Amino acid sequence: MLTSIPSIRKKQIIAVTGVMLFGFLLAHLSGNFLIFKGPEALNAYAQFLHDLGPVLWGMRIGLIAAFVLHMFFTALVVVENVKARKARYAVTKDQGEHRTLLVRLMPYTGVTIFAYLIFHLLDFTFVEKTGFINGVDYGLYGLVVNTLSNPIHGGLYIIAMLAIGVHLAHAMQSVVQTFGFANKCIRPKLVQASMVIGFGIALAYCAIPIYLISCAGSGCLVK
Amino acid sequence: MAAPKTISIKLKVWRQSNPEAKGEFKTYQATDVSPHMSFLEMLDVVNGDIIKAGDDPIAFDHDCREGICGSCGAVVNGEAHGPKSQVTLCQLHMRSFNDGDEITLEPWRASAFPVVKDLVVDRSAFDRIIAAGGYISVKTGSAPDAHCLPVSKVDADAAFDAAQCIGCGACVAACPNASASLFVGAKVSQFSLLPQGQPERKSRVKKMVWQMDSEGFGNCSNAFACEAACPKGITVDFISRMNREL
Ligand code: HEM
Ligand code: FES
Repeated sequence: MLTSIPSIRKKQIIAVTGVMLFGFLLAHLSGNFLIFKGPEALNAYAQFLHDLGPVLWGMRIGLIAAFVLHMFFTALVVVENVKARKARYAVTKDQGEHRTLLVRLMPYTGVTIFAYLIFHLLDFTFVEKTGFINGVDYGLYGLVVNTLSNPIHGGLYIIAMLAIGVHLAHAMQSVVQTFGFANKCIRPKLVQASMVIGFGIALAYCAIPIYLISCAGSGCLVK
Repeated sequence: MAAPKTISIKLKVWRQSNPEAKGEFKTYQATDVSPHMSFLEMLDVVNGDIIKAGDDPIAFDHDCREGICGSCGAVVNGEAHGPKSQVTLCQLHMRSFNDGDEITLEPWRASAFPVVKDLVVDRSAFDRIIAAGGYISVKTGSAPDAHCLPVSKVDADAAFDAAQCIGCGACVAACPNASASLFVGAKVSQFSLLPQGQPERKSRVKKMVWQMDSEGFGNCSNAFACEAACPKGITVDFISRMNREL
């Protein structure tokens, strides 16, 4: 059954699910930015999501499906790709403006993102949402601040975000080619836009741990 | 006029006596190489020495030696058809190298292109892809009226660009995944752009992609190394077109 799916379709499934995941990244980022507004804003947003009830579960299931399909089909494609060149070259040289480097990194950045995802869920999803700052419980806000203001913990988040940046730097323009809408007139622009979107999103996410580390957590509240 | 300066090159060549043999690199010294020689002529000279020494000459594919048949090709220091852009190995000249250079020569490496001997690989997978759909069905008989099938200049040019593919396999050799997408993209596009290709358009792309997949080529990851390696300058726009056609 799986072998009857054309290679190009497999890539298109990876691309569609990748774009869904990208949509999630944007939505998640816009919510996260409420941390700059303060405890009430972030906690109210978390409460709002919770109150969505079945709708929230619908979104969660969609997200899980996108992740599972994305990883399943990339695993399939990567195994086929490795099998397609069983005998390796003694000498290799990147042809094609070093883009091949970004491509070779895709599985590694992907696995890093997945490892991070587990770590992230253990940090904030599967735990009691309490966080004490100066003896006061600030709920989810306090939890996030206490977790990410730790330089090692926050630093790991920054590394994971950079992996997302590298993944997207290649991926965003790749999608356009995968669906057959890229051509040599727009390709250079697509490649640039992909870099800007990828690293833009990564840096935007990084802003949160950087902010929390720099004000050492509780300091953020003194305003 | 002074006699042309000659150069001397150290060659590390992949030697494999048959498809089952393990294969290994052997080193040869090419001396007195004229910079005007083509790469294949240089190999001819080296083979002359090997034969004189009573050994088996290096096997490599070649035919036209003018860059149009697609027979030749090897990976030279990690680059399919060598360091120059848009040239086949037979059109690569030794002036592209310096005296004392060391050159590693390997066959196209792809599971779908098994090594036959030394630098010769079996590219019949490409033939089977063409047989699967790379043709048009036309009524034979009296010649059609001239200009009865109008083709726009833009489409004619694009189809011609695609049809420049000589099927050498450098795209597969250069691809990090040994994918044949550039070859198949070009072959699909040269027909889908022309009126003669329309009747079988939908089924052709399906059949050719199906055959490509079953031959064991990899998937396209959009690294575009193929475009850089192609001696005919075929662009990845044709892969994009194939993706849209499927
Ligand atoms: C935030 C999460 C993620 C997003 C937004 C995302 C997005 C994308 C996109 C848009 C593509 C491009 C598809 C194309 O070339 O047309 C892609 C490719 C890829 N993704 Fe992801 N991805 C994510 C997570 C993951 C994870 C968790 C893995 C693996 C464990 C992964 C592995 C890959 C691989 C290997 C490719 C390249 C496939 C190829 O071209 O050969 N990704 N991703
Ligand atoms: S021998 Fe014909 S293309 Fe090189």
